[in-house]
Amino acid sequence: MKLSEMKADGHGTVRSLGKDERFLKRITSIGLTEGAGFQVVKNDRKMPVLVYVRETLLALNRKDCEKIEVTEVKG
Amino acid sequence: MNCIALLGQPNSGKSTVFNQLTGSRQHVGNWPGKTVEKNDGTYSYNNETYTVVDLPGSYGLSGNSDEEIITEKFIKSGEADLVCILVDASQLERSMYMLADFASMDAPAILILNMMDVAKTQGKTINDRKLSERLGIPVLPFTAADGKGFEGLKKLIAEEIKKPHKLITAPEIASKEAGDNNGSEKLLSEGTAKFTWISTILEGLTNKAGKDYKVSGFDRIMLKPFWGKVMTVLIILAGFLAAMLIMSPFMSVAGMLPKLLGGPIAGFLNGLNVHPWLVSVFSLLIPNTLYFCISMSAFVFGVNIAFGFLEEIGFLARAAYQFDGALSKLGLQGKAVAPILMGMGCTIGGASGTRVMDSWGQKMLTMMVVWAVPCASIWSVMPVISSMFFPVWGTALVCIGIIAYIFVLMFIVSRVFGNKLVPEDARTGMIMELPPYHKAHWRYIIKEAWIKCFDMFKRAIRTVTLVSLIFWGFSFSPSGNVESSLLYRIGTFIEPVTKFFGMSWRTFMAFISAAFAKEAVLGTLNAVFAGQSNVADVAFNASGGGIDKLALSQIMSQTISGAEALAFMFACTFSVPCLMALSTTYRESHSLKWTAKTAGFYIGAALVLSCIVYHIAAPFLG
Repeated sequence: MKLSEMKADGHGTVRSLGKDERFLKRITSIGLTEGAGFQVVKNDRKMPVLVYVRETLLALNRKDCEKIEVTEVKG
Repeated sequence: MNCIALLGQPNSGKSTVFNQLTGSRQHVGNWPGKTVEKNDGTYSYNNETYTVVDLPGSYGLSGNSDEEIITEKFIKSGEADLVCILVDASQLERSMYMLADFASMDAPAILILNMMDVAKTQGKTINDRKLSERLGIPVLPFTAADGKGFEGLKKLIAEEIKKPHKLITAPEIASKEAGDNNGSEKLLSEGTAKFTWISTILEGLTNKAGKDYKVSGFDRIMLKPFWGKVMTVLIILAGFLAAMLIMSPFMSVAGMLPKLLGGPIAGFLNGLNVHPWLVSVFSLLIPNTLYFCISMSAFVFGVNIAFGFLEEIGFLARAAYQFDGALSKLGLQGKAVAPILMGMGCTIGGASGTRVMDSWGQKMLTMMVVWAVPCASIWSVMPVISSMFFPVWGTALVCIGIIAYIFVLMFIVSRVFGNKLVPEDARTGMIMELPPYHKAHWRYIIKEAWIKCFDMFKRAIRTVTLVSLIFWGFSFSPSGNVESSLLYRIGTFIEPVTKFFGMSWRTFMAFISAAFAKEAVLGTLNAVFAGQSNVADVAFNASGGGIDKLALSQIMSQTISGAEALAFMFACTFSVPCLMALSTTYRESHSLKWTAKTAGFYIGAALVLSCIVYHIAAPFLG
């Protein structure tokens, strides 16, 4: 599923970050890599998605989150 | 000569360290051939001078932005004897990415674990000794913003320059000779390799915070889609109120200068039989310029303290989160919210606030958008003029019209320049960390605001004096009557053209003076309409004091129509904000071409707006 479809407080791991190199460089440098585990903190309509990854709270643009494929982890 | 370079991601506190190390011994320039700003400075320690180069901020070193190329080249050139890498200790794993990127560079380095105070309040500990052993370079726990510990840092730098250390470990990155250097596959595997390396290095040296993130008290409101926006607006308004309180003592003291200095200087010079022309320069122009520059700098000081505080405690990051959606419609992203809001107080503050933007293009576009936001001085002038022509409800309508047009103009600017400055394929949405709320370091905020304010004052004195001298020359009239000035002759000569745009020569002259300073508008109007005082004497007198508003109102409403007044008000509000905003835009963009483009666009757009408003309003308002 897409990161933008995750529910608040859900956990998951990153499956794919897409192919856009500019985006990849930027998103990697801030800590989101393939396989990284994360927690969705907030996901409100029309707002950036708040993701907790590597002890950092990140705000990610909604459109960008549609490019990120994730696997939900129950627990 | 000892040379050290500072390297770190934005938010690592790099500029804090730079400013605290070098104080006022800084130099701002350009990296050769680029629009990227080069900041360097010096400090001395044990009778030796050290040069500090603040490497352009970026998130890593493997990118192809101008900033990253410059940084990479500089480190590789070996010009720096030591590279100080800054990481955020409260988010260690993530911010170590810069170190992982640096590892391939083979240059002497030390690692500074900044923001230890924040890490401590979160209950995080870091075994810095073990970390240093594993990395092979010194590791220094540090809190830059409290201003302590700099002696220790200087001592360490001095020791390391004499006996440097290099990293003894690096991420395992697959061979570099592979044909395509930037394939997405390669990027992905490199990213994973870097973070694997970081985890190995940090293994057992830190105590991780709890696994789940819990939204804390204040964030429960600040992160709500609707109430968060309401809170943002309220807090920003409170910020401006605080800024006004901070600046008011400076302004009232400076306001006495023209009176205190003017009389005695005039008396003294008249006693020496100096030409009246010169007497007027020294007794009126110079004290007024001084007053004007001081009050403008005081305003910049106040706005910077208020916004410096909001930034430090982590509030502005929340505001960016709230407005990312709206701003991406303009080709910008959430981070642009702070400069735009600052622009509501002062365009100069807003323009210098664009430093937080990720790329030059976004920074330039944000500055252009900030110009569209009427500053506090405009709001102190326009309702006064409006009330000379219209009843209270009419003035309210004018204000609503102005506010509505802000959005129209922002939209036009983003359509006209957006694609050039931030091409569609280069548009990256907001990727931003929301730092935990933390206490403000007041000393640091005040120091930073003071540096900005003093820099602005120095530039203002130079620019405003020069321009007011020119303006003064054009408007000087030996008889004291406006009709014998050069300004009058030029104004009436081009009136047929300005009439087309809806302005007679009088309002056009005030329109021109508004591009220098909005505070000058009332004074200029008084001079050209009432003709009682010299244009030169009033144009740069920021107070507008001594103007008989009732008399001016009577003369103006008899001389020009309501339609012309309306056109004039819109044109003034949306023209070049002021001389110092122009100067600051150049200073921040380092591009004469784009500064000129911005000014040209705004003057042109203001004239077109004036023309449209005049011709629509003329049938109704006569």
